[in-house]
Amino acid sequence: MLPVAVDAMGGDHAPDAIVAGARAAADGGIPVVLVGPADLGSRVDLGGLDLIEASEVIEMDDDPANGVRRKKDSTLVRAAEAVRDGRASAMVSAGNTGATMASALLRMGRIKGVGRPAIATIIPVPGGRPTVLLDSGANAEVQAEWLVQFAQMGSIFSQIRFDEDSPRVGLLSIGEEPGKGDSLRKEAFGLLEAASGIQFIGNVEGRDVMADTCDVVVTDGFTGNVVLKTLEGALRAIVGALGAAFSSNAESAAHAEALMPALLPLYVSLDPETYGGAMLLGTDGVCIISHGSSSPAAITNAIGVARDMVVSDVVGRIASAIADDGSA
Amino acid sequence: MADQQQLTRSEILETVKDRLADILEIEPSQISEGQSFIDDLEADSLALIELVEALEEAFGSRIENFRVEDEDLEDLKTVRDAIDYVAERAGL
Repeated sequence: MLPVAVDAMGGDHAPDAIVAGARAAADGGIPVVLVGPADLGSRVDLGGLDLIEASEVIEMDDDPANGVRRKKDSTLVRAAEAVRDGRASAMVSAGNTGATMASALLRMGRIKGVGRPAIATIIPVPGGRPTVLLDSGANAEVQAEWLVQFAQMGSIFSQIRFDEDSPRVGLLSIGEEPGKGDSLRKEAFGLLEAASGIQFIGNVEGRDVMADTCDVVVTDGFTGNVVLKTLEGALRAIVGALGAAFSSNAESAAHAEALMPALLPLYVSLDPETYGGAMLLGTDGVCIISHGSSSPAAITNAIGVARDMVVSDVVGRIASAIADDGSA
Repeated sequence: MADQQQLTRSEILETVKDRLADILEIEPSQISEGQSFIDDLEADSLALIELVEALEEAFGSRIENFRVEDEDLEDLKTVRDAIDYVAERAGL
């Protein structure tokens, strides 16, 4: 398989954490190529990994689309071009999310028939299979037809990622009844009911995102991003409050110590780093968008997801599903 | 060397409509010169960047040093604006 192109300069802890994660993935047998400045090897030990040179970096506060146009020799643009030109099988970045999406979209292009790509984020479900939430930030405004495509793409992603034959798809709304929601949701509900190739279970609510109610939650990118950030903030607050309660006195600390063997696996299952990153679905190439604060382990996991998506031909399967739907 | 002789306004119109139709997943026949990208065609900023890049690729070999300058982007509000922009740089 062609190497996974890793943006060495993307993320809060780049390049050290990114290169460390890439090296670990390579040690695990996944071919990796770094994308970074020519002098990267003098700043961090590349461990023998190949380097695609790129002299610029699109910063976190750069405008995504203009950044891609202005910084044509940036790590993100060069990573996306490597996939487009057949020198890499996939790209991974923990950098500017919007610019990662714009680079992939503008350089790899969209899968034919796909209205807009969407970011699919994995939401952990305690004791259950994780939920795929999309769109979690690519498109602030969407059309009802795009939500149907999000459902199709999310179902394929869930099938591959979690080995689920027939993922349950829910439309995020403000009530379970079909008539609930704004005009976009009502129109999308009808289209999703009639759509082929997905198991649509109807409307779901915010409380269902972290429950074992459905496997794929479809929404617009504005709402999806609010949901994602709300969950992240809530989880962080709860973990912080638990930590404070556990350490409030010696007795609590002793009980907490005893509970740790049960709590740690739960913590790991809820930790976004476990899942490596979100996937941009709908572009004509695999693009994994990792969290800006990614650790080496998160990057290693993201590269593993990229490899799995390439091997299972997620792009080809989405292309077939969209083409079949278009000809139906 | 750029070949400006063969480029006509109707050719530019067809290219703009084709590329835009591709990006917006609609039929070229649904696009007319007077339409606004945002208000009539519901194109978002990323779709416009896609169009600009597609036009640079399409006309790069026909118009010498053809590039849509970033500061000009906000002036391209309608299909006609885009056609006029290309036509002007093609010397039409």
